[in-house]
Amino acid sequence: MAAIIRTLGSRAAVAVLATKHVMPSASTAALRFASTAPVDAKKADKPTVRKPDAAARTSLSDFGRYVAECLPKYVQKVQLTAGDELEVLIAPDGVVPVLQFLKDHHQAQFTNLIDIAGLDVPCRKHRFEVVYNLLSLRYNSRIRVKTYTDELTPLDSACEVHKAANWYEREIWDMYGVFFANHPDLRRILTDYGFEGHPQRRDFPLSGYVELRYDDEKKRVVCEPLELAQEFRKFDLSAPWEQFPNFRNANPPAEVVPPQAPPAKK
Amino acid sequence: MAGREAVKRAVQQVRPILSVDREEARKRALNLYKAWYRQIPYIVMDYDIPMTVEQCRSKLREQFVKDRHVTDIRVIDMLVIKGQMELKETVEIWKQKGHIMRYWKESQDPKPTDFLSKFIQGVH
Repeated sequence: MAAIIRTLGSRAAVAVLATKHVMPSASTAALRFASTAPVDAKKADKPTVRKPDAAARTSLSDFGRYVAECLPKYVQKVQLTAGDELEVLIAPDGVVPVLQFLKDHHQAQFTNLIDIAGLDVPCRKHRFEVVYNLLSLRYNSRIRVKTYTDELTPLDSACEVHKAANWYEREIWDMYGVFFANHPDLRRILTDYGFEGHPQRRDFPLSGYVELRYDDEKKRVVCEPLELAQEFRKFDLSAPWEQFPNFRNANPPAEVVPPQAPPAKK
Repeated sequence: MAGREAVKRAVQQVRPILSVDREEARKRALNLYKAWYRQIPYIVMDYDIPMTVEQCRSKLREQFVKDRHVTDIRVIDMLVIKGQMELKETVEIWKQKGHIMRYWKESQDPKPTDFLSKFIQGVH
């Protein structure tokens, strides 16, 4: 260890010598300043909040616009969330064509399906959202494809496009009860056999409906309706004070990308 | 004219799950019933449950009759799909004895109906 430190130290000394040779008048403190990236003191008022890259934003919104132009039948909206995350909101019929387009198009190559997520908002007409997270290794970029459905409308399975969709769709089916048409092997994956209901739905209680226990007389596990010692109480968990005042004027969570590009300024 | 508009609005086009008309949905439900019915002797044998084949069949009928009031084709299809999945879980012996016996709800006492037993149990 000491030997490593010694060699490092000697190398640093050599480097300092070399720089001194190039710029003999500059002091070491100034050298250290110049070696780091220039920091604009006025702009970096919130150093903990990551600033989205403007160039990446424009390229992402351009790509989103291009996708919307290529698939006008399915793409309903293109938006940027959290500054630089591209989201494409599509009609439920267009899951397979849109994913196929994003996978096979030479300028996209979103060949990796990272995850499929579900979302339940009971007050909406189409209460479930299904979110496909895709990754393009070729262009090192990610995209999110969102669609919607309700309890009884089947979605097309993405298994024929991405093999990885198999288990993810089984999860969605198990947790939310969204049916995927043409899925090769749609069955439960997380819940126990004989479990009734879909636990991630908002109207499914946190404690569930049944409880299991081992019955010593019958020598097996029995299932009984849940009995809680305490009545259900509704807690008001919202605090009276504002918790994140710094984020009062934060960026909007989603910025819609307009179909036409804004005219270039001269 | 207004009536026709209202009918149009009430009968909206939806994507079918499996069946396109009532007859098809009915056939699917009957096929599922038959498949369960034929499987019952094997279930009783494989799982070694303390029930006779007749008791299982009456339970099967009870489970189907419970959803008799359902008229929406898509709801029927969804129930048939779930029943099909359950049948597969049973046939492949992915379930265990306890899962099969769960249909009979043996350990649950029936809810009291008359006044005195309600009073004794403290249920109002």
